[in-house]
Amino acid sequence: MTRYAMVIDMNTCVGCNACMAACSLENQTPVWSDQWRTYVHDRETASGRAVHRHFIPRLCNHCANPACMSVCPTGATYQTKDGVVLVDEELCMGCQACALACPYDARYPYTHDDIAEGKKFYGTLHRKSPSMDKCSFCNHRLEAGKPPACVQTCVGYARIFGDLDNPIDPVTELVRTHKAKPLMAHLGTRPNVYYIPER
Amino acid sequence: METMTFATQNLWTWWFALYLFLGGMGAAVIVVSFLSHMYLREEKELVMWGAISGTIMMVVGSGMLFLHLLNKWAAIYILTPWGIFHKPDSWIAWGSQFILWLQVAAILYALPYMVEKPRLLHWPLVGALLKMKFTRDVALVATRFQPFLAWVAVITGLGTAVYTGLLLQSFPAVTLWHNPAVPILFTVSAFSTAMAWLLIVMYLFIYHRVDHTIRALYERVDMCLITAELVIIYSFFNFTLSGSESGYRSAELLWGNPGWVLGFVVMGLMVPLAMEVKCVFGRWSGKVPIVTASLLVLSGGFLLRHFFMQAGVYAYPW
Amino acid sequence: MSWGFPQLTRRGFMKTGGGAALGATLLQAGSWMPGAEAREGAAEEQVYSICNFCSSLCNIQVTTRTENGEQRIVKLEGNPHSTLNRGKMCARGQAGVRQVYDPDRIKTPLIRVEGSQRGEGRFRAATWEEAWEYIAQKSRDTKIQPWEWTMVGGWTSCVFYMYWAVPFALSNGVPNIVASPMQHCVASGHLGTDSVTGNFNIHDEVLPDYDNANYILFVANNASIGAVSTSRMVRFAAGRKKGARVVALDTRLSETAAKADEWIMIRPGTDLDFMVAMMHVILEEKLYDEPFLKRHTNMPFLVRRGDDGQWQLAMDAQGHPLVVTEHDHKIVPLPAFTNDNGTDADGAPVHPALHAPEGLEWQNKPVKTVFQAQWDEIAANSPDWAERTTGVSSYTIRRIAREFATAGRPIVDPGWHGARYTNINMLRRVQAMVQALVGGIDRRGGWIMSGEYHHKVAHWLKSQQEGHSPGPLMTSMAGVPFVGELIKALSNGKTFPHGKPAWAFAFAAQERAAGRPGVAVPALADTGMKESVNGELMYDGQPYLTRAIVINAANPVRHYYPDTHWKGILTHKNVELVIAIDVLPSDTIPYADVVLPNPTYLERNEPTIYGNGVNHDLTLTTRFKAIDPLYDTLETPDILLRLSQIISGTHEPFLNMLEALSGIPHQRTWEAYKKYQAEGANSPFSKACRDVAMEDTAKRIHVSVQKLHDGLSRQGIYPEIPADELLKQHAMPRKMALPTTSGRLEFFGSLFVWLQQMGGKGSSFNVLAAPIAAECRAEASMADPLKPDEFYFTYGKTPTISYGSTNSNNPVLAAINRFKKDIYTGIWIHPDRAGPLGIASGDAILVTNTLSGQEASGKAYVTRQLHPDAIFLHSSFGVENKALHLSYGLGTASNKLIPYMVEPVVAGFRSQEFTVRIRKV
Ligand SMILES: Nc1nc2c(c(=O)[nH]1)N[C@H]1C(S)=C(S)[C@@H](COP(=O)(O)OP(=O)(O)OC[C@H]3O[C@@H](n4cnc5c(=O)[nH]c(N)nc54)[C@H](O)[C@@H]3O)O[C@H]1N2
Ligand SMILES: Nc1nc2c(c(=O)[nH]1)N[C@H]1C(S)=C(S)[C@@H](COP(=O)(O)OP(=O)(O)OC[C@H]3O[C@@H](n4cnc5c(=O)[nH]c(N)nc54)[C@H](O)[C@@H]3O)O[C@H]1N2
Ligand code: SF4
Ligand code: SF4
Ligand code: SF4
Ligand code: SF4
Ligand code: SF4
Ligand SMILES: [Mo]
Repeated sequence: MTRYAMVIDMNTCVGCNACMAACSLENQTPVWSDQWRTYVHDRETASGRAVHRHFIPRLCNHCANPACMSVCPTGATYQTKDGVVLVDEELCMGCQACALACPYDARYPYTHDDIAEGKKFYGTLHRKSPSMDKCSFCNHRLEAGKPPACVQTCVGYARIFGDLDNPIDPVTELVRTHKAKPLMAHLGTRPNVYYIPER
Repeated sequence: METMTFATQNLWTWWFALYLFLGGMGAAVIVVSFLSHMYLREEKELVMWGAISGTIMMVVGSGMLFLHLLNKWAAIYILTPWGIFHKPDSWIAWGSQFILWLQVAAILYALPYMVEKPRLLHWPLVGALLKMKFTRDVALVATRFQPFLAWVAVITGLGTAVYTGLLLQSFPAVTLWHNPAVPILFTVSAFSTAMAWLLIVMYLFIYHRVDHTIRALYERVDMCLITAELVIIYSFFNFTLSGSESGYRSAELLWGNPGWVLGFVVMGLMVPLAMEVKCVFGRWSGKVPIVTASLLVLSGGFLLRHFFMQAGVYAYPW
Repeated sequence: MSWGFPQLTRRGFMKTGGGAALGATLLQAGSWMPGAEAREGAAEEQVYSICNFCSSLCNIQVTTRTENGEQRIVKLEGNPHSTLNRGKMCARGQAGVRQVYDPDRIKTPLIRVEGSQRGEGRFRAATWEEAWEYIAQKSRDTKIQPWEWTMVGGWTSCVFYMYWAVPFALSNGVPNIVASPMQHCVASGHLGTDSVTGNFNIHDEVLPDYDNANYILFVANNASIGAVSTSRMVRFAAGRKKGARVVALDTRLSETAAKADEWIMIRPGTDLDFMVAMMHVILEEKLYDEPFLKRHTNMPFLVRRGDDGQWQLAMDAQGHPLVVTEHDHKIVPLPAFTNDNGTDADGAPVHPALHAPEGLEWQNKPVKTVFQAQWDEIAANSPDWAERTTGVSSYTIRRIAREFATAGRPIVDPGWHGARYTNINMLRRVQAMVQALVGGIDRRGGWIMSGEYHHKVAHWLKSQQEGHSPGPLMTSMAGVPFVGELIKALSNGKTFPHGKPAWAFAFAAQERAAGRPGVAVPALADTGMKESVNGELMYDGQPYLTRAIVINAANPVRHYYPDTHWKGILTHKNVELVIAIDVLPSDTIPYADVVLPNPTYLERNEPTIYGNGVNHDLTLTTRFKAIDPLYDTLETPDILLRLSQIISGTHEPFLNMLEALSGIPHQRTWEAYKKYQAEGANSPFSKACRDVAMEDTAKRIHVSVQKLHDGLSRQGIYPEIPADELLKQHAMPRKMALPTTSGRLEFFGSLFVWLQQMGGKGSSFNVLAAPIAAECRAEASMADPLKPDEFYFTYGKTPTISYGSTNSNNPVLAAINRFKKDIYTGIWIHPDRAGPLGIASGDAILVTNTLSGQEASGKAYVTRQLHPDAIFLHSSFGVENKALHLSYGLGTASNKLIPYMVEPVVAGFRSQEFTVRIRKV
């Protein structure tokens, strides 16, 4: 079995946004509507006199227990046998319950208007009907044996992709040893995106 | 991570509150009027009013949802009865089925009365429909199955009212929603608003055609429901004050908002409660006070859902 | 635990998940649904190219898809075969595909509407023939002389078309070239570094080996890492993952500083003090690599004070430098040019000393070593001294110096953008010296020169030794000697039949004659241009006018300081003709008479085969076009060919010069051109050059043309020699001389001796390292308190934008900029300073230059991420041309605040050497 997971190394993410650009162009997302499948936040924190700047990439966590999937009335949101959570654009009626259920703000609507604009923008659009959209772990690339677009381009090697069912995958080691930890694990969604905290 | 962002959603806004409000109230209206019909008195007017107004509420309510679907074609998947077998974990799947069958059962239950009601028969379109032979045949069959239909309506109706809360409860990131009190609160509120609506109907439209005892009973029940609601709201307030930042922020949003405090808690619960108490214990008579109280309850019911949707706070670690 | 708590395995969850997925499959829609067809298979193709959005020159892979008969570029990726950028690319590169499809592109030649003024931007679409005719007629009617032309080139024209642009200018008698990277970064920042290492353009030749470093110090630099130069960032990430300690000296918490283990918030303009103090500690505590200094640098050379009080090298009659031997204190001559001080001029082994004995004399004059002279120069500049101006504790400075020098494989990043303070030249120079002090040049974990640079220098040295010409100047010379040749050509009127040097040099001479300092080497700078345009420049008693300007891939209105300076030049009545070559309507475009559109980089094969940028490996690369040009465009070599025919009446001189300087053979290229022209090919001259380049390169590396072509088209790169092999043979200076005057690393800067001869005076021309104070306020030190509303001005690049370039109009990048609007387009200001001024984030504020009175407005972004003395803004915004629909009006333009102020060495901009006032509006 394969259980895809992403590890994000906060030590080498420079907040360059290359992943955002790569993802939008790979997956034809509606940039004109300011919607993204992945974001890199740029946040300031301070402790005493010290000031810090953090870059926090985020995307769908491909939860093993996805809240978005259980609320979905049509079955449009589903999980592949490899643990990738996908939206079947044809089944999705766009009720957006999944977006509210997702604790990670990973979903956004791809509307009729977006489709019209997208046809102009991208020339040919893969998508035919409006639906909820979110990161697919670039499943079409995985199937072609390629890493996700954001991982491929990540200039900091901050996004690491792998298979948790493969004991010798570096990602497995990082997760097993708790060097990389998921976000908001207490919610019980069993996320499959893990973060190596800054040293 | 040391960072934290708090956010509310803007995907499900007033129209969704309307869906929850009308869906819950409509279902409860049907349940209450049917139960009254079955166990109290055979009040044809009340049943018809209940079935028709309840159904209209649900049509308008679910219409809100439908209008906001990104792809309306795909709604077909939640309307086919086998949908829930594929998605038994989805409350919307259940809710849609409840709403669908509740409407069917409600109309069928009331149909035998409707086909005999002269005023309805004069209405354009509706009258024509009711006069059709097919309709009359169906009404005849429905008469035979009335107890069954009533139970279908009651069960699906209860299901719908509870569902409006369960739906919110299934969003795990928001403390305000993700707790078992929400379905209870929404159910109680649904019934309270249903009572209020039926009281308005009885006082304004069918005053002389319905027995006074039903009105009196409804007033009393509504009083209890409002009291229960206040208790739940109070416990909510307490619940959100500690335990999670998301809940605390929701509390801040709610209790810092005059719309919630004055519009819902005071004008939507406390004032009508006081008015109803006064009416019930005989200090007030006439239509005006009770109708006013009921209208306040209705507006409270909408505001509750509106602010609940608005104040659901997500706490993101970025 | 006493009782075992049943563990829920994740696998259990997976199974439930599977059930739901099955449900979904059963529910699969029928095909009656609107739009239910699956993603249809479409023909995808891949070609390789080179990114065009910064001088990191990443190798890229371009995917096109043909659907419904239309071939479109759908995705760019880093070329996975590339050892330069390792399959990665930054946001600007990723989004590059949108340049091709930008609806705001220039789609046909444009001619300014009759009766309108330059600057109004009113154009009519024209054919190429109309455009040529317009140019020809204008230059004929107004009798524009060759020297009255000026070429303005941006960095892309430098990198990709230098082989055509320089021959174009020289062959047509045009001595005037303004190159936009020069005054901003290449010349002004790097010349100091270059004087130590002999490089010319440090960021194109040195790529620090972050992979293997264990200590990395960044000084006033963010672009290498945080604004992303992919080739550097990928190596940095690897090094940091391996545990390298990272320290960043920046006035603000830049992206790089955010990734550092330690951010040292330094007061702007005072980095030189920090570096000098660091050098002080390393010398004082003997933390340097002594054997390296003795053998491979000019530290042991003997110097003495000249009659003018300046340090000079002590030399014997044959011009050999002298050293004193370690044990017997004998003065011995060394070869004038070598990489190794281990043998004397006669070939005998020698052990030069770093310390000359007290009272040593040569020809009756006291002498000491460069090492000693250098120590004398900075003996007073201890960390305690630097603490006051830098605001960094002396303890920290000393600690960093020790950590650095004892780390083992430390790197002080060379830095990139210059143009901030007069002292930036010296700053970069001291950085190079500090790197040399630990021996970290051209070795693993230190600075490593690019493969192409190694190759060129080795080739050049070999030809020097063998006593024959190295070949065409442009292709076979590298480093400072190359610039030397170029400067000689432009500064000397004798280069041209008309006897006039570049106006920049004429102006420098005029200034010196008037008793003002002037600029020592204003090569490719804009100093004197305004005077020439205005008719204020005289040469040989005649006015030296500028009346025609060709701007190729440059945006001086936005990129030079201040905006009004170039607007003034371009709208001056003396200027008869302005031609601009571009792909998008930059802020400069409205000021042109004729606009000539290029195809974008993804729509063209380049006219030659290139080296692989800063790659440590020796590798060839080029561009393959992904799609045919969408619009009526022409490539640069074809444009230059046609312009030559207009200016000189014939193409002959241009082609001759191409052969002489760039090695592009006249005859064969012309024949190929004729053939392609007859076939009606698009840009036939570029095509011809490409063919010939392919043949000649194949010949040079001894493979068939077919093999080279296939290799390049299959992988986008053609590897020649891997880095380790190059280092084994050509490591500079351990194995091979550097292209400095002496072949060694030069602490004693012979380049500055030469610059002094060119007229340079003052601390900027010091032959040794020494502090130079930034002068942001008259008569005040950087440490003196500022007024409550007064700030130092700082700026830097945005990760999503190139320069202030037209890619701010890229819809993907623009969307990211909207997402990070406050941070990217706001004016950063510290809350401790903003508070008393009543300024909160998002407030509109007015910034006024206290020196020049220039004003610019913007939105405040209140943040603790910068030095309270400074404001900071990203230099990428402030587009004025409405034709750039997405970026017009966004952010604050840095060039509205920076006055025309240049330093005396190369006319680098002193773009931060003033203060500003802030006011809420
Ligand atoms: N305001 C501001 N000024 C700056 C800087 C800054 O950050 N902000 N940075 C400074 C620095 S360090 C540098 S190196 C310089 C760089 O300055 P430039 O070399 O001028 O930089 P670019 O903007 O890349 O190029 C200028 C023009 O080239 C056009 N162009 C892009 N691709 C092509 C092409 O394929 N063909 C043709 N013909 N044109 C093309 C762009 O549309 C743009 O108008 O700017 C300096 N000036
Ligand atoms: N994204 C992006 N990357 C680029 C380019 C681009 O346009 N966009 N252009 C390329 C080119 S040609 C160049 S020249 C380079 C330029 O790259 P850099 O040399 O890195 O130049 P900047 O980004 O202008 O500024 C770097 C840092 O210097 C800081 N700084 C300003 N003043 C001072 C000071 O006095 N002391 C200290 N210690 N820090 C100071 C700023 O806060 C900023 O973080 O970038 C290259 N890479
Ligand atoms: S590409 Fe990588 S380094 Fe850049 S922002 Fe995304 S995750 Fe961070
Ligand atoms: S929006 Fe689509 S995917 Fe989301 S819950 Fe509704 S039907 Fe499912
Ligand atoms: S992150 Fe959100 S959208 Fe993604 S699988 Fe988890 S719950 Fe679903
Ligand atoms: S995995 Fe693919 S879809 Fe998901 S964020 Fe990365 S590029 Fe986007
Ligand atoms: S660093 Fe980015 S912009 Fe520069 S060449 Fe590479 S991909 Fe292009
Ligand atoms: Mo630059």
